[in-house]
Amino acid sequence: MNPPSDNLPLADVLRTANQLVAAKLIEDWALGGALAAIYYVEPFTTYDADIFFIPAGKGLDAGIPAIYAHLQAQGWQVEGEHLLICGFPVQFLAAHGLTEEAVREAVRIDYEGVPAKVFRAEHIVAIAASVGRAKDKARIEQLLQQADIDKTKLENILQRHNLKLPTL
Amino acid sequence: MKLEMRQKLAREPFAEKIRKVAQLIRLAKTSPRRAAKTTLAHPALSAEALERLPPKGANTLH
Repeated sequence: MNPPSDNLPLADVLRTANQLVAAKLIEDWALGGALAAIYYVEPFTTYDADIFFIPAGKGLDAGIPAIYAHLQAQGWQVEGEHLLICGFPVQFLAAHGLTEEAVREAVRIDYEGVPAKVFRAEHIVAIAASVGRAKDKARIEQLLQQADIDKTKLENILQRHNLKLPTL
Repeated sequence: MKLEMRQKLAREPFAEKIRKVAQLIRLAKTSPRRAAKTTLAHPALSAEALERLPPKGANTLH
């Protein structure tokens, strides 16, 4: 494990997610949540990373228990519903429906030499619209103001998943 | 903060923005009241707080 750093250990988080694919525990994954939003908007405070994944299989050993067991065996600690990767809380969330589509269509990026995927801005808006908390409305407003949103794509996603943007 | 400034921050490289998130987390831990005041108003205001931060080691009055 790397020593504590002044920066977030995001490269370690992304590398760890790639290792889960190599170990055939997950089929695919992408960064979602606040850190994905920050890819498109100004930085703001967040205390964890959300990794959305598509399980490699449908058996009982697929998904979160296997992921946590695998990563705990490598020395990562569990704190509540988070895994601590280099001390940074990471939540692994099984993707389905809209979030599965968001994983499959996520943008490929290179973060400090680590290949990764980040949800598209249009999917982040749609997911926030589906959740609907106050902070999700704020996220939608931020993305609409600051990100280059493909409005046709967003409308298509919203329509297919029977969603509407909240009144801002 | 003006929308133009926010859009400028939004266009910064992802790695640079992640570095600023780490700074914001440290700010929240060292000055939780100050950080809470900015984040409660609007999460986006956190970046504004960061832009206004004095240089490391500078004397500050809260």
